[in-house]
Amino acid sequence: MIQPQTLLNVADNSGARELMCIRIIGAGNHRYAHIGDVIVAVIKEAVPNMPLERSEIIRAVIVRTCKELKRDNGMIIRYDDNAAVVIDQEGNPKGTRVFGAIARELRQLNFTKIVSLAPEVL
Amino acid sequence: MRLEKCWFCSSTIYPGHGIQFVRNDAKIFRFCRSKCHKNFKMKRNPRKVKWTKAYRRLHGKDMTQDSTFEFERKRNRPERYDRNVTEMTLKAIKKIDKIRVTREAQHHKMRMKGKKAIEQEAAIKELENSINLVKAPAALQQGSEITLPKIKVKVSQSQAVGERMEE
Repeated sequence: MIQPQTLLNVADNSGARELMCIRIIGAGNHRYAHIGDVIVAVIKEAVPNMPLERSEIIRAVIVRTCKELKRDNGMIIRYDDNAAVVIDQEGNPKGTRVFGAIARELRQLNFTKIVSLAPEVL
Repeated sequence: MRLEKCWFCSSTIYPGHGIQFVRNDAKIFRFCRSKCHKNFKMKRNPRKVKWTKAYRRLHGKDMTQDSTFEFERKRNRPERYDRNVTEMTLKAIKKIDKIRVTREAQHHKMRMKGKKAIEQEAAIKELENSINLVKAPAALQQGSEITLPKIKVKVSQSQAVGERMEE
């Protein structure tokens, strides 16, 4: 359940450390973003000497949420934190590595690059 | 579909039940119901919670080593379907279950052995220590009988009948 003002961890090595959601792409009337949704975010905290800087506006895709994810086969999955991966306009990740477990739903949404970089897909 | 075991209480999780929690190091914790999930969130140790399998095993309440447990285990290689094998397995399940139940009953019986004698002993000790609550010390000196004498009370039949009629 990601909405504007939500703070998210960054699950890659793009240089951002913490993001704040400011808009959900393609949401229209939807209030919350879930795993696989693209958000517009502000970098609240960044690693020094990296291309991405604080207060920069970027796009990111959500890869983990604390709110349970329900699958069609009845499985319910919950993660430890809210996390996103920074992407460009085409949907390719800006970083070269992805950290932590990632949901399988991203593969269907054509984020195959992120899925292949992930150490664990659940 | 696979039947998993609950991380907290070790019960079987059937498809569509329970919840999975994935820690950031990708370790999966499966829970059979919200009770177990909540207990996990409260950071309780299943070895210290009395109703879990882990506690019961640790404290010798349940059978821990038995050949009937060997049949139920995780197999990562898919078995090729064979009608005969399936049939035999279904037959064997009933038999194995029966054996397991009888062995568990035997284990419980052995565990409870001598419990009655201990209870009796404790009751006698309590009676000796606190006899003064039911019998005054002076009365006890006259007759050192601890148990109460049997008193026969005569109930007149006619009176009882009369009372009932009044009601």
